[in-house]
Amino acid sequence: MAKVTYSGVRESKPGRLNDLGSTGQEVSENFKKGCLKRADRSFAQGLQCQQINSLAALMSLEDSVFISHSPQGCVGCAIMAIDMYRVGQIHRGIRNVKNPRLIVTNLDQKSVVFGGEKKLRESVAKAVDRYHPKLTFVFASCASGIIGDDIDAICGDLQNEYPETLIIPIHCEGFKSKICASGFDAAFISINKYILKHQKVEKEAGLINLFAPTTVSYADQKEMERMLQLLGAKVNYIPFYSSLEKIKKIPAAEASTSICKVFADEFMKTLYEDYDIPYSHTVMPIGIRNTDKWYRGIAKVIGKEKEVEEIIQKEHERIEPLVKKLRDRLSGKRVFICGGTGRSFAAAALIDDFGMKLVGLETPTYDDDAQVDIEYLNGIHKDFVVDIANMQPFEQVNLVKKLQPDAFIGVPDWAAKLGIPTTHVLDGKRPTMGYDGLLFLGNKIADQLENPGFNKKLAAHVKLPYKESWYSEDAFKYITKGEN
Amino acid sequence: MSEIMENPKGGCVLAGINSVLGALDRVCPIYHSGPGCCMQTTASDQGQSGHKHSCFVNSVSIPSSNMLEKEVVFGGLNKLRTTIQGAVDIIDADAYFVLTGCTAGIIGDDIASVTNEFFEKGIPVYPIETPGFTGDSNLGYETVWNTFLDKVIEKDVPKDEKLVNVFGIIPYHDPFWSGTLEEIDRILSRLGLRVNTFFTKKQGIEDVKKSSAAALNIIVNPWIFKGPAAKYESKFGVPSLRIPGLFVGATDTTKFIRKVSEALHLDNDLVEQVIASEEEYVYHYLGQSIGALSWKRFAVVADANAAIGYTKYLANDYSFTPVLVIVSEPIFRPEDKEAIIKEISDLEYARPPKVLFLTDQYEINKAIREEEQEITLLVGSSNDREIALEKEIQFILGSFPMSERLIFNRTYAGYRGSLTFTEDIYDNN
Repeated sequence: MAKVTYSGVRESKPGRLNDLGSTGQEVSENFKKGCLKRADRSFAQGLQCQQINSLAALMSLEDSVFISHSPQGCVGCAIMAIDMYRVGQIHRGIRNVKNPRLIVTNLDQKSVVFGGEKKLRESVAKAVDRYHPKLTFVFASCASGIIGDDIDAICGDLQNEYPETLIIPIHCEGFKSKICASGFDAAFISINKYILKHQKVEKEAGLINLFAPTTVSYADQKEMERMLQLLGAKVNYIPFYSSLEKIKKIPAAEASTSICKVFADEFMKTLYEDYDIPYSHTVMPIGIRNTDKWYRGIAKVIGKEKEVEEIIQKEHERIEPLVKKLRDRLSGKRVFICGGTGRSFAAAALIDDFGMKLVGLETPTYDDDAQVDIEYLNGIHKDFVVDIANMQPFEQVNLVKKLQPDAFIGVPDWAAKLGIPTTHVLDGKRPTMGYDGLLFLGNKIADQLENPGFNKKLAAHVKLPYKESWYSEDAFKYITKGEN
Repeated sequence: MSEIMENPKGGCVLAGINSVLGALDRVCPIYHSGPGCCMQTTASDQGQSGHKHSCFVNSVSIPSSNMLEKEVVFGGLNKLRTTIQGAVDIIDADAYFVLTGCTAGIIGDDIASVTNEFFEKGIPVYPIETPGFTGDSNLGYETVWNTFLDKVIEKDVPKDEKLVNVFGIIPYHDPFWSGTLEEIDRILSRLGLRVNTFFTKKQGIEDVKKSSAAALNIIVNPWIFKGPAAKYESKFGVPSLRIPGLFVGATDTTKFIRKVSEALHLDNDLVEQVIASEEEYVYHYLGQSIGALSWKRFAVVADANAAIGYTKYLANDYSFTPVLVIVSEPIFRPEDKEAIIKEISDLEYARPPKVLFLTDQYEINKAIREEEQEITLLVGSSNDREIALEKEIQFILGSFPMSERLIFNRTYAGYRGSLTFTEDIYDNN
């Protein structure tokens, strides 16, 4: 059977959906019965597009220029990756902090009519002239896609003109996917196609690919590297803060794993198929259970099952008395969680370490991977609402106001205005992962719960934009059955 | 017309429109666009302007039709209709504005046909048909006011001789916009005027509607708002006074007061009394800290408004030596560039600095790197810190984009702002 090439669009996987309102029990049963149908929302709020993720995945690479073939607005969100890159340098002790080299072709009315090829060519010429980069990435946009600029052909042509820099087009047109993580896949597909090119390289004993997105803090990087080194592994930490040389080393690894569930998961499959590199795809290492699971996953792949158990036992001995203290402070508290695919499920597992109760979970996609997590959560928590939504704060505030949780974990902007104590598990500047990250997060949640004054007072003064009538409506009112 | 740019400052026209609407109380933008535009256009301006965002809706809380492949191929008007309906049903806004992203613009969706369906039912839903690719954030500011002038502002509102409208300070594209408008408001109020800043004091669409009652538009900016100003005059009879650059410090703020006073024939005694007391306030502090700031040879990288304000204050009021001024926002009209150069060069005692118009970060860095005269202070944006670190120049974060500090109501403008600016320049190292 011919191998089906993955397009990079996450919706192309059968059984994966983005719009659903349900409960833990109901969604799990319906998934098993095959009754979950792809749906839509007749009203929605803004999403994160995949181009944001493609850019963010690569923007800390050394000796690289990033060209957004788009109007100026499409590099707005690059500030998040730019900021992480700048702060990341400070955390790594670099004094002369640099900007990433980001060029926007700035498509305009003329380009819409006549095409943007000239602007793209000029941008690449500037990139080469200014920085002599080893890598030049060209990111597509909605506009470049719709006006029909053939960035593959243009980049191919430019590659001949500038043989000293690798020119890599990335197909991250925003309109192609509702799931922003598709942008990670688009980036990795191009890395494989233009850099690795299916070439086998000599294996390096003990080398592990550790895939990490920009949102992973330096503290977390060090913790993950420490844990893998305890297993005797050498870590190839990519692509955040890496280089062409480190990317070229990917096929030399003995195994791969990722810090995030939707980061490089498809790519690790490809690496297995194209370069025989086994991999571990488990969970995000947040909380005891997930950290154990993540750790055991990669240990198994490299044949260190015995060693990992010894380390885990030691870590548990060290950490459990401290976790117990947190459990005393947090046990029985009701929690609502909202986050990306990796972090939402990781947070849900984390709260079990502290004996907290899940009452609501908002996560962007449902698929067989999510089903595994939901079945696990159903075993712990009796009854919780599941909202398959990429943010959609209007649904969130409706649910949070009705459920009145003791704590909210996730993007704090809206729950805070309802007076609920909030904590975020996404902090690219501070620790969240591994055994030590767990304590940092636990203390953060417990302290917020103990001292909720800010949000309570805020709620008394600042109103969310929704009409009062909305809070008594069905939160899932705008989810339409079947595709619109 | 748009130029290729490295590390661009700000977003597309949609970002500018979103920032202006977001700064008005209880106004809801609705995006007819691709799935990422709400987030991108919020991040590009609000997200890089001192970490302050529109409190009503911003980023992923803005209603959006999230156009995907299907809408690209078949058109997205049905999706837009249900999106507007949902927004009207659940969001408690005084007005809704439908914005067009590149996708909707390129495929040619007729958004006005859909907004009219709502408007005819008495629901205030307005179309803004300016797709993202047509320009930058600055254009967004003018686009919103042109839309207001065409569709929102009421005719035949009784004139109010004491009411003035303030323009030229762009919300979120200027990190100090809030504090600057508050300082302008404070000063003009002392002169007995009522002030429409539109973006502070919880002002909203009602204040916009009645803005035709004003006796004067005061435009604090050397080049922006020419089109809308002409329309205010021709359609509503409101004349404009242009203040050709932000005023920072006693000298220029006093000049500002005198110009307003002249235009509105204010009571001279009151005006002189206000000026005297404000200047006294500033010098009361400046006098307490003589020599705390060492002598500087400075460079500025900022939008035209701030570049003028900072340069003139540091040169005229603080006797620092201007070396290089880089205006880092896109300005296309030659006459605007000439006016800006004239304003920056018109200094009391100091020799005029070199003035360049550069938007591309590589070129900005190059100009500073290759400047032959010594520079010991650089006032710039987060993007300009790199070159300051490289050249070991003292750096003050004073212009957009600004991601390394939180800004609520502080400003460097006016009498009081100049003291804050001076405080920030102090360096104990």
